[in-house]
Amino acid sequence: MPETMNQPAPAAGPSAAACVFEAVDLKKSYDDGQVQALRGVSFRINEGEFVAVIGPSGCGKTTLLQMLGALDRPSSGALLYRGKSLPDLPEPATYRAREIGFVFQSFHLLPTFTAVENVQIPMFETDRSLPERRERADEMLKAVGLEKRANHFPSKLSGGERQRVAIARSLANGPSVLLADEPTGNLDSQNAGHVLELLSRLHREQKMTLILVTHDMGIARRASRAIQMKDGHIVFDGNPAELSLA
Amino acid sequence: MTFLAVIARGLLRRPVRTGLTLVGISIGIAAVVALVGMSRGFVSSWTAGMKSRGTDIVVHSMRTSLAPRPFPAAAQGRIAHLPGVAATCGILVELMSVENSEMMIVSGREWGGFSWGNLKVLSGRMPTDAAERAVVLGKTAADVMGKKVGNKLQMETEELTVVGIADGGALVENGSVILSMSLLQEIMGNQGQINAIDVRVTPGMDEAAIRRLCDEISRLIPEARGQVAGEHIRESQSYRMINAMSWGTSLLAVLVGVLGVMNTMLMTVFERKQEICILLALGWKRSRIIRMILWESAMLGFFGGIVGVALGVAGVNVMKNTPAIRGLLEPELSVGLMITSVLIAVAVGVVSGLYPAWRSSRLTPSLALQG
Repeated sequence: MPETMNQPAPAAGPSAAACVFEAVDLKKSYDDGQVQALRGVSFRINEGEFVAVIGPSGCGKTTLLQMLGALDRPSSGALLYRGKSLPDLPEPATYRAREIGFVFQSFHLLPTFTAVENVQIPMFETDRSLPERRERADEMLKAVGLEKRANHFPSKLSGGERQRVAIARSLANGPSVLLADEPTGNLDSQNAGHVLELLSRLHREQKMTLILVTHDMGIARRASRAIQMKDGHIVFDGNPAELSLA
Repeated sequence: MTFLAVIARGLLRRPVRTGLTLVGISIGIAAVVALVGMSRGFVSSWTAGMKSRGTDIVVHSMRTSLAPRPFPAAAQGRIAHLPGVAATCGILVELMSVENSEMMIVSGREWGGFSWGNLKVLSGRMPTDAAERAVVLGKTAADVMGKKVGNKLQMETEELTVVGIADGGALVENGSVILSMSLLQEIMGNQGQINAIDVRVTPGMDEAAIRRLCDEISRLIPEARGQVAGEHIRESQSYRMINAMSWGTSLLAVLVGVLGVMNTMLMTVFERKQEICILLALGWKRSRIIRMILWESAMLGFFGGIVGVALGVAGVNVMKNTPAIRGLLEPELSVGLMITSVLIAVAVGVVSGLYPAWRSSRLTPSLALQG
């Protein structure tokens, strides 16, 4: 396995699947180039893949997630979403609202809103009416098994429940891609297991592309593909079962 | 959940701070309602007084003072014969301290003139002639000074008898001390001088004709000016100054409200930085974030305006019954003034929210992934 991969890697999924993301020599630096978070990474991610991005703290995996979520712009290189340049999207907010769902490590539920209201938040940027938003939020909470906790505020929910609400929120607009940043990082092992099981099930049932950032090798092995990062480079891209060899 | 609910929830997350900000705005708006209502009430009260006397035109020499300046009583004769003039009545009016009352309207009226006609005696009687050393008190004036029929009233160096208490049909009339013009001229040392002529026009005269008559009167009496009753107060320099001062003082108070709201909204944006970034990460457009902040500050303004109007109305009701003001004017608290005040408050909210909203729009959504 080469130390860096400057050319797009072959897709690990079925060859017929459409390419969702393609990165070519993607770089990101901060503080006038003094900090280089991404040092030229290239990859392709196909429709329906479950990709774990793994690496130690500071290796650039969260920066990569920010690029994929159009939360930040790369310093150089190309990043395409379904063939369109992500940094050049005229309205990144619309992309974030309709194409992707975010799951954060710290859940990031809004404390003054109930579970069902939190799930409705992303739907404000859609054409759904008020009853449709409520109905969809109820549906999403049911999908994560929290329909009975719909009217509870986040402070009254356990860590695992909060993350499940956050997952329901990320699914609210029916995204084709789910980006999860250390989704089990703040959970005990039992809740972490439940959340991973939920994400895996949603990935299977809804056939969505799941990109999960983690530093936990055990979690990465549940994915269909692992991208290992170190110091802003991709050092491994392939079958998670081979991760220990990297 | 509606967008309005999101906005309301944003305001309620810090209820004490929101409440204190509301108080800040409402004090400014209360000042607008109270001061402007009082200054407008000054005009409407005097206009109502004129109407109750049946006066259509006032000939006066009011310039910078609140009470008109004296001019020779002979001027009255120059206009009495004009076509359209049904009757005239010479007036000498003074705003002066009478006994314990700091400011009273003392109205000396030409004996036998029509300006006595509106007074309905409630107790006692009218003076028997112009020379009787007597006054009639409007009912509010009698109440303020605690006088009854038969009591003595000290005016300058003269002791006069209260012979009657009357209802003049308007607040200014009821707040006045009324006596014969010649007696007041004698007391004030202004013999042969008046400072207003009440003119009643012939019935059926239209507004344009009344204005033409005003012009004609002004031409015939160069030392004074004929104006439609009420307008002479509204267009006087004194009233304009009072009005400007009312607005100036009010707007200073409103400015304090602006700073209060701006501070609150900046704190809100600062405290909710990560929340705003999360909303951006979840797909909210920057324009929606800006709208959220502006709506929050506008709602602060709106509710501050409502509370301010209520405080202003309550304050005015307290002020109008103070001895210094009672009987001089009835504050004009029109629906228009209240709506204007609430609109000012909303504008205050929106203006105060502009900078915080701009700050919020500069936040980068990637902060959502940090921490």
